[in-house]
Amino acid sequence: MINPSTGPSSKAKVQHMMYGFGDDPNPLPETVTLVEEIVVEYVTDLAHKAQDIGSKRGKLSVEDFLFLIRKDLPKLNRCTELLSMQEELKQARKAFEVDEDKLATLE
Amino acid sequence: MDQQQPPPPTPNAPPPSSAVDPPPQPQPQPQIQQQTTPTPPSTSSTAIPNPNPNPILKPLPSAIPPPQQPPHPKPALPSHQPRPAAAFSRPWQQHSSQFTHFSSSSPSASSPPSPSFSSQPRGSIALGVPSSHSGPLPPSPSPSQSTPFTGSFGHSFGGTSSSNVSQARPMMRGIGIGSSVGSSSQMRPGGISAQHQQRPLQSSLRPTSSPTSQSASTQNFQGHGLMRVSAVGSSSSTPSTPQTPQSPNQPWLSSGAQGKPPLPPPWHRPQINAPSLQPRAHIPQQHHSLQTISQQQHVSSPQVPPQNISSIQQQEPFEQQFSQSRASQSLPHQQQDSRSQGSANQKPSSLAMVQPSTVQVTQNKAAITESDDSGGRILSKRSIHDIVNQIDPSEKLDPEVEDILVDIAEDFVDSITTFGCSLAKHRKSDTLEAKDILLHLERNWNMTLPGFSGDEIKTYKKPLTNEVHKERLAVIKKSILASEAANAKHIIGQTAVNTKGNVGKVAANILGSPNVKIREVS
Repeated sequence: MINPSTGPSSKAKVQHMMYGFGDDPNPLPETVTLVEEIVVEYVTDLAHKAQDIGSKRGKLSVEDFLFLIRKDLPKLNRCTELLSMQEELKQARKAFEVDEDKLATLE
Repeated sequence: MDQQQPPPPTPNAPPPSSAVDPPPQPQPQPQIQQQTTPTPPSTSSTAIPNPNPNPILKPLPSAIPPPQQPPHPKPALPSHQPRPAAAFSRPWQQHSSQFTHFSSSSPSASSPPSPSFSSQPRGSIALGVPSSHSGPLPPSPSPSQSTPFTGSFGHSFGGTSSSNVSQARPMMRGIGIGSSVGSSSQMRPGGISAQHQQRPLQSSLRPTSSPTSQSASTQNFQGHGLMRVSAVGSSSSTPSTPQTPQSPNQPWLSSGAQGKPPLPPPWHRPQINAPSLQPRAHIPQQHHSLQTISQQQHVSSPQVPPQNISSIQQQEPFEQQFSQSRASQSLPHQQQDSRSQGSANQKPSSLAMVQPSTVQVTQNKAAITESDDSGGRILSKRSIHDIVNQIDPSEKLDPEVEDILVDIAEDFVDSITTFGCSLAKHRKSDTLEAKDILLHLERNWNMTLPGFSGDEIKTYKKPLTNEVHKERLAVIKKSILASEAANAKHIIGQTAVNTKGNVGKVAANILGSPNVKIREVS
């Protein structure tokens, strides 16, 4: 399959994910291949649509992806949750830096 | 068992057979062959059993690929199956010795079967205790019809995770009977019967379907189950019960009626499917089996799979009908002519309904249903029934609705094929390929079919934008910026009068984008 994969083979990742969703620990290779193809097709299609939307606004942004999955509530909520977590982590890291600067200035 | 008694192999035969099992495949094969030769002369009572081991032996070497592995290469399967058959044939001869051997090896049987002969001894054990599982019986195209039966038998035993000794015994009987019957006439009927026997064994052996295997075992015991299985393919002999006299072509009829109740639909279905596809060693419920079977039997697959997969519901009446129709049909045609069978689809469809289990591979189902729809000019109402039953077993459709659905389906297939052909022509090719159909469905029906594209990268086309449009967008942006700047200035003037903080907040609320500017101002 023309599937650029980095790190552990994409098939292994897909296999583990399938197991996480309730499949057999050792599914058929054909099944794994099919699921992988479905996933790749889905992501590719999503990216294409996001590009279509983003090009109208100028640049591709995260908002475009969120707009595309607006109908899928679980996914949408999970995405917003992850994005907010990312923001929080950013803030936390910033706080560390600020503390160091304050200490430096105080001293 | 009649089969067991007649050919009393030389005492050496059984022990070597058992010994042969553990060693690697190549070794047992020559040994088996050697052993079988003495057996024929020794068995005087029945000529049938003798020929069986001989043909079985030959294919054995090649047919022992681990049935568990999902892809079963066709050539490998036939070879493997014969081996276990040969090994088993001996055990039959020596009843007592074998069972004792089996009992000891029963624990091993539960362990995952290994492709090599080692599985055989397990299988032999299975004789005593029917194993629940549907051992991965490779769908052997069975060069010799009896062999696949035996081969699968051996494998199935190895594969059976649960020890169902009881099952094994009846199965063995069935096998013996079937093999004897099959060997006598290496025609389809024999093969079919063998297949039937195999199926129950296979189905029972498969570890994945423990419930089915159990049911299968129970069936075997009763002999009905085997009958059922054989019923599909016109099993010549009832495997489970040598007692019940059954005509080669209609053993299933008598047994089918009896065996129905105990037989669960899913287990039943796969069995039925197996007989229809002779080469297919029935692998119940297993995606794997279906795939392998479909791969192995392209010929029969188009016809049988669609039907089998789709229908599950009506077992008894369909089984009998189907088996009859199948027996008549399978013999004359090699199930290769999907078209010809298409006409017989109605009958097989009924059978298919019984046989196929929804559990079967989804892919196969999709492929098969598609092929069925596209292959048969006239889509049978049974298929519609089957599909509806898959969705909701209690659903019922009016006959008019079914008619309309059939018409819609046929029109759909027709239009798609037509457009696909025109696309192929546009491609300057005279062959209708999958990509033509895929493109049409994707573009006009918004249907994506994963698993058929062959992993071609989808090129992305940036949306074409005209220059004029771009210029207009640029002008609009400029005007927006200008208006925002004007608002910011206005707000700044206001903040000078009012409290900076309040105004700043208000401004911030009002203007989303220029927040930075407002903050700076405030």
